Amino acid sequence: MKKKIFFGVIFILIAVGAVLPRQGFAFYLLGDKLRVKGSLYEFIIYGTNFKKSTNEYRDTNLGLVRTKATLELLYKAIDCPENALNFFGFYRYWYEATPDIDKRYRQSITPYLRRRFQKCNYYSDDWINEMYADWYHGPWNIRLGKQIVFWSEVELIRTVDQINQLDLRYSSPGIDPWDEMKLGLWMLRGFYNSQLPGQLIFEFMWIPDFRPVRTPTEGTFWGGNPGPPTPNEPPYYGQNAAIEEQWIKSRPKRDLKHSSFAARIRGNSEVRIFKTPYLLDWTLSYYRGMNNTPVARRKYLGVPSTTNTDPNTLNGYGNRLANQRLAGDPYTDLPSHRFWNYKFYHIIGGSLQSFVPKLKGVVRGEVAYEINKPESTADAKENAPSYAKQITGSCTRNTVNAGLTYDVPIPVELLRHPKMQWLGANGTLDTSFGYFGQWRLGDVKNVRTTFGYQQKVQTGFTISSRTGLRNNALTPVVRTLWNTRKWGYTAFALAYTPGAHMRYELGYLMFYAKNVWDSREAQSEGKDNVYLKMGYEF
Amino acid sequence: MDMKVKRSFVSTGLRVLIILAFSFPVLSRAGEVTFPTFSYNEQELAKVREWEKTWAGKKVTTETIDQVKDFLSEPVYKAMKNPKTFGTDSLWFEVVPYRPYAASKGMTEQTKKYAPDSKLDANEALVNFGKVSGYPFPQPKTGIEMAWNFDGNTRGDTHHVMNEGEVVDCKTRLERHAGHLRWDTYWASRTDLPPVPAIPADQNQRGIFRSYFQRHIAPVDFVDTTMLEIRYLDLTRDEDLWVYTAMFRRIRRYATSQRSDTIDGTDMIYDDQDGWYTSPTWNTYKYIGRADLLVGRHVDNKKAERKTGQGFWNGIQRERANNWAVEVVSKDKNYIYGKQIWYLDPETWQMNFKVMYNRQGELWKTYEMFYDEYPTALGQKAAYMACEHTVDFIRSHGSPGKYTMKGLSLDIPLTLYQTGSLKVKAY
Repeated sequence: MKKKIFFGVIFILIAVGAVLPRQGFAFYLLGDKLRVKGSLYEFIIYGTNFKKSTNEYRDTNLGLVRTKATLELLYKAIDCPENALNFFGFYRYWYEATPDIDKRYRQSITPYLRRRFQKCNYYSDDWINEMYADWYHGPWNIRLGKQIVFWSEVELIRTVDQINQLDLRYSSPGIDPWDEMKLGLWMLRGFYNSQLPGQLIFEFMWIPDFRPVRTPTEGTFWGGNPGPPTPNEPPYYGQNAAIEEQWIKSRPKRDLKHSSFAARIRGNSEVRIFKTPYLLDWTLSYYRGMNNTPVARRKYLGVPSTTNTDPNTLNGYGNRLANQRLAGDPYTDLPSHRFWNYKFYHIIGGSLQSFVPKLKGVVRGEVAYEINKPESTADAKENAPSYAKQITGSCTRNTVNAGLTYDVPIPVELLRHPKMQWLGANGTLDTSFGYFGQWRLGDVKNVRTTFGYQQKVQTGFTISSRTGLRNNALTPVVRTLWNTRKWGYTAFALAYTPGAHMRYELGYLMFYAKNVWDSREAQSEGKDNVYLKMGYEF
Repeated sequence: MDMKVKRSFVSTGLRVLIILAFSFPVLSRAGEVTFPTFSYNEQELAKVREWEKTWAGKKVTTETIDQVKDFLSEPVYKAMKNPKTFGTDSLWFEVVPYRPYAASKGMTEQTKKYAPDSKLDANEALVNFGKVSGYPFPQPKTGIEMAWNFDGNTRGDTHHVMNEGEVVDCKTRLERHAGHLRWDTYWASRTDLPPVPAIPADQNQRGIFRSYFQRHIAPVDFVDTTMLEIRYLDLTRDEDLWVYTAMFRRIRRYATSQRSDTIDGTDMIYDDQDGWYTSPTWNTYKYIGRADLLVGRHVDNKKAERKTGQGFWNGIQRERANNWAVEVVSKDKNYIYGKQIWYLDPETWQMNFKVMYNRQGELWKTYEMFYDEYPTALGQKAAYMACEHTVDFIRSHGSPGKYTMKGLSLDIPLTLYQTGSLKVKAY
């Protein structure tokens, strides 16, 4: 029955595309004061090379069958050049049907996390991704409400752009748009557009809200496999599911002292280098906020030993859970107190971008210096893999992240050849070459990280390229990321935009990793997939 | 003679001599300039009026097109004869009488003031570009002079318009809708809106020649995307382009080095905007003669019509005009067009249409710009596009569009053309 519903939705989307008028866009109500936009999308992922161990947790190869609706409202209450007031809202709701279609997949996810995974209800206000009042008065712009902030300049890499965290449970950046992956935060945000030299724009934020990153849920397509199957199914949940539940319960209370603050200056300055004028867009930023992942609370840490099975302590609870999993015993409920603390740290950042005539492209760079970033610690001598080590406490470290990209439109003579005009190609590959570096400063031997344990330096390179065919009705895209530690991914996608409303995208993602514990992305090794997105936009 | 009278006589005589001495060159130079210029002289006009007695007010269709073949460009005739190529069974237009354009007071004054001294340097750049305005060569002799006249047509100096159009695949009849609001300002070569001829250097420290700000209103995916592009007085300098993509909430710098990219999947490339968007110095020009053709100079775009899947407008009002035809070849040997033929209006120097050939010399596209005269905020008149279409003969594809005039010669704040506006003016 559920399969019929799923294929029914697909059929309706295709049929809608065939019969609806081929012109049209957002519509207006209330005397053009209210603009209404929205979309309905079906997003399907089909795994192509599950590992044998993963097959034990699947009846099908489906990785995602998500139906998602979005609604964007813009109400222009006051619309004068020097004084304007708008109300903006971006709302969404989704239903993820894979657990309904695939029984073993369903059993791999804890009921507590599955409820949060299948629907848009991780937090009660998740259906509101953005909702704010936006007031312009002279050079001032004040925005109050739930918002998403984009501070990044380079593609596929986030260095200074750390204000809103991501929901990584369903897809990866580049497949879903950023504004739908980022988690909105309630905040007060202001801009002052000065007429000082350099056209300086001053920006500040007060954020009395916090939402940590949502990592892939254990048992789902993008998450790790749960514990080994037991005769007592369900459940057979693993350590990651337990930690995710602990983290949800450790979210800091709403309290003004948990507020984050951020400020940025944006400028636009002309400089001459060897007589060539360059118009530089630059930013300087500062952020004080909570780290997106927590560190262990010392009070409830417990003895860092595998013999500690006290469920009221973090180490003890983890050990007890591991034993119960092996024995097939019922699990112990989480205690009422929090095991984890989300702690503040600081980021000082800067970015620069300019068109470089000699390179015929745009060069962008950004750097972020993370100060006192909280980390958990472990005994380097303990004979256990990084993710299984007993936690000994917490510390802070400084980290430098840097990204550099070079965007260049590359003319392709073959596509421009008169004999190829039937293809309707724009004849150019819009290509971006990127470099990313991370340097963890100080001693990292005792820092307990699940991924990249004891690694001081990360170096990565990215390439993304796209072109337009059939007058941009078809857009092929390729993206690839390669880390010098021999992990990475490549994605091929073909987007089809036949008319005003229907959107289709077919893609293939392949991952590789020498050591899956080198990074969160390396964990995706064995999750190669074909995906299809199709939707209706209005 | 009384001494006082004698002194007065001498001083008056000297004053007259001084005035004559200074005014002689002005009078002399002014004598060389004839402006406004018109499409036809009296005799030619009489013949045109005679022809119009038969044709004015008539609807010319695919079936009757051969009767006016002599007054049609090759691509328009070809399209009219083969309407199925552009998604319809029949194409038609209406013939209207020729009407001369009214040159604005500012354009007339500036042309008369600066044209007598106009000259080109060794690189065929206009000497004193940015410090002068008007049409530099009202009686041009070469193609490059015509191109600089085209560049001098500022159409009221600022423009605010809404442009909506379709990208039409005439074979499958599939269409994609696109639309934007656009604000343009000439920072130099100004003729009408004070300060003329240019915004003073202390308010234009970056040496901007022209800038535009654009806000997309369709398709849905691009709603609230804004663009800012700046063209500089330095003719060797690339334009700067910023795009605020609403979907990604980011202001990004874009490379303008690839100006032969198509614009959002239309049949136009970036260089095609307004006929030719960038500096005249990027091409070589050859004047190939006058072309008395039916073009859209006073077009009521409400009468322009088409059905879904049709890439070429019906209902255009075409009038005769004796265009200047110029063959244009890019200095870039790998340029996407092998050559273009520009058809420039003899009165406003606007481009009435152009024909683009591929590198094998085949007819590829034509871009017809259909104008109308609009009142400016300064009580003058200026011709601006009312609608347009670019059609691709090889692929049976078309990009018809219409403009809604919001204002010409408006006092658009220069602060609009700052990157800070990209987010602020996104909706």
